[in-house]
Amino acid sequence: MALNFQNHSPAPLGRVSLIATLLVSLVCIGIYQAEGATGPLHSVQAAVAGIMTPAQQVSAPLGAAVESAEQSAADDGAAEETLSALREQNAQLVQQIATAEEQRLENERLRGLLNLRDIYEITGVSGRVIGRTTDAWNQTVTLDVGSNSGVESGLTVMGPTGVVGQVISVTGSTCRVRLLTDPQSGAAAMVQSSRAEGIVRGSMDGLLYLENIGADVNIQVGDVVLTSGLGGSYTRGLVIGTVARVEGSAGTDTRKIIVAPNGTVSLMEEALVVFSAADDAAERAITAPVTTTEGEGDGEGDGSEGDATGSGDSAENGNGSDNAADDARDDSPDDADNTDDEQGEGEEA
Amino acid sequence: MDMTRETVAGIIGAVVAVLLQVVLAPALSLFEAVPNFIVAYCVVRAVATPAAAGALVPFFCGLLFDLMGGGPVGAMAFVLVLVTFLASRLYLMLNNDTLFIPVAILLLSIVLAELLYSMIVVACGVGAPFGEAFLYRTLPCMLYDCVIGLLMYPIAIRTMVDRPLGQPGTPVLR
Repeated sequence: MALNFQNHSPAPLGRVSLIATLLVSLVCIGIYQAEGATGPLHSVQAAVAGIMTPAQQVSAPLGAAVESAEQSAADDGAAEETLSALREQNAQLVQQIATAEEQRLENERLRGLLNLRDIYEITGVSGRVIGRTTDAWNQTVTLDVGSNSGVESGLTVMGPTGVVGQVISVTGSTCRVRLLTDPQSGAAAMVQSSRAEGIVRGSMDGLLYLENIGADVNIQVGDVVLTSGLGGSYTRGLVIGTVARVEGSAGTDTRKIIVAPNGTVSLMEEALVVFSAADDAAERAITAPVTTTEGEGDGEGDGSEGDATGSGDSAENGNGSDNAADDARDDSPDDADNTDDEQGEGEEA
Repeated sequence: MDMTRETVAGIIGAVVAVLLQVVLAPALSLFEAVPNFIVAYCVVRAVATPAAAGALVPFFCGLLFDLMGGGPVGAMAFVLVLVTFLASRLYLMLNNDTLFIPVAILLLSIVLAELLYSMIVVACGVGAPFGEAFLYRTLPCMLYDCVIGLLMYPIAIRTMVDRPLGQPGTPVLR
């Protein structure tokens, strides 16, 4: 291999700019790490994010188009047998559409009556997701509500069915929300059934982990996890999700508790920035099911009632890929009465 | 500053790369991997026009990336300045007018850029150990960026370079 060891050293001006830019970069990193969240570099970062928001809005329909294209590509690659089966399925589904549409309309009406805001007596402002993170290291979204609407840093943000994150920076008309699934996120949480407190953290693999729970506390799949409000970072008593998997057993320090989030923010969805919620919100949240083995048929059949406890919302949202978590939500209508009882007790108290 | 074709094309390319990062990258994310058009562009430019690469375009592109995202400000700027400098010097030393050298340097530089950035981000407290960060973020992003870099390189050679790089009979992208 011929090597060109000729005079290729950078020109003096280039050398100066190289050293200068490297130094400036290092100084910026140092200042950024040393300053607080309200420091000048953080402020500039928030301002630039706000300026870029209009451009980011373009990416939302693009994302939908990309998803559609991926689906089309997958369809094109289907085998003939698959297509035949799909045609048969399609014929059956067409017959079911009319029934399903009726159920959907009924569901919407019920949902309109019993939405999340009413359940928790939330005061807040809802915003549309208008931007997403431009890098892989931060799980954030941008909402179209900002300080002009009363939004401040640190406020809790809810999706249609549960907590999704926290406001980390605000401009006049936008705010940036760090999602719970971000590894840098951490929400003080408690398990509704046992009242055991811990911290729900995001992770690189996109899962939520419930940590710092006492080793002797018995955690069951399907247990509902709420914000505890400890430390004041998140509003107390709002649903984070349900325990989807417990690796290890009680009494061991290596136990891993994975939480299936109740709320997610997909493209063009709306989210609610919470200013405050009812004092007894923790008692109003989804009640943890006693068992998780009940058939799906019952759960679906009673789904409309489940809205009163918020579980119906999660069913529509399609979150929680874990079957156990889904079962847990399907079961929740059975506990609707319990929730009502608890509410009543709370009010009496 | 001499406003040569390479300089003008470099600045226009930088603007396009930033716009692509803002508009297109979030829509193209696969699982947790978000493509980084800025890294790919800066490295491609350093290899395509090594003599005119300079440190200012990578610096400002990196700084914009840091300001638009949520990472430590200055981290990507530092990484891009360093990596593009190394890439351009390495290319000038090793160039033998074949396709292998620029492509190899391109891929190596992208890998190095993503690795360095992840090390800085982890050191600044991303909330995860380096191994996990490497597995779930660095590796997929690295692969994604390599693909984008390979797609960008022929375009950059066509649009940014003043004169043909290859000699007759050699497999170069002209």
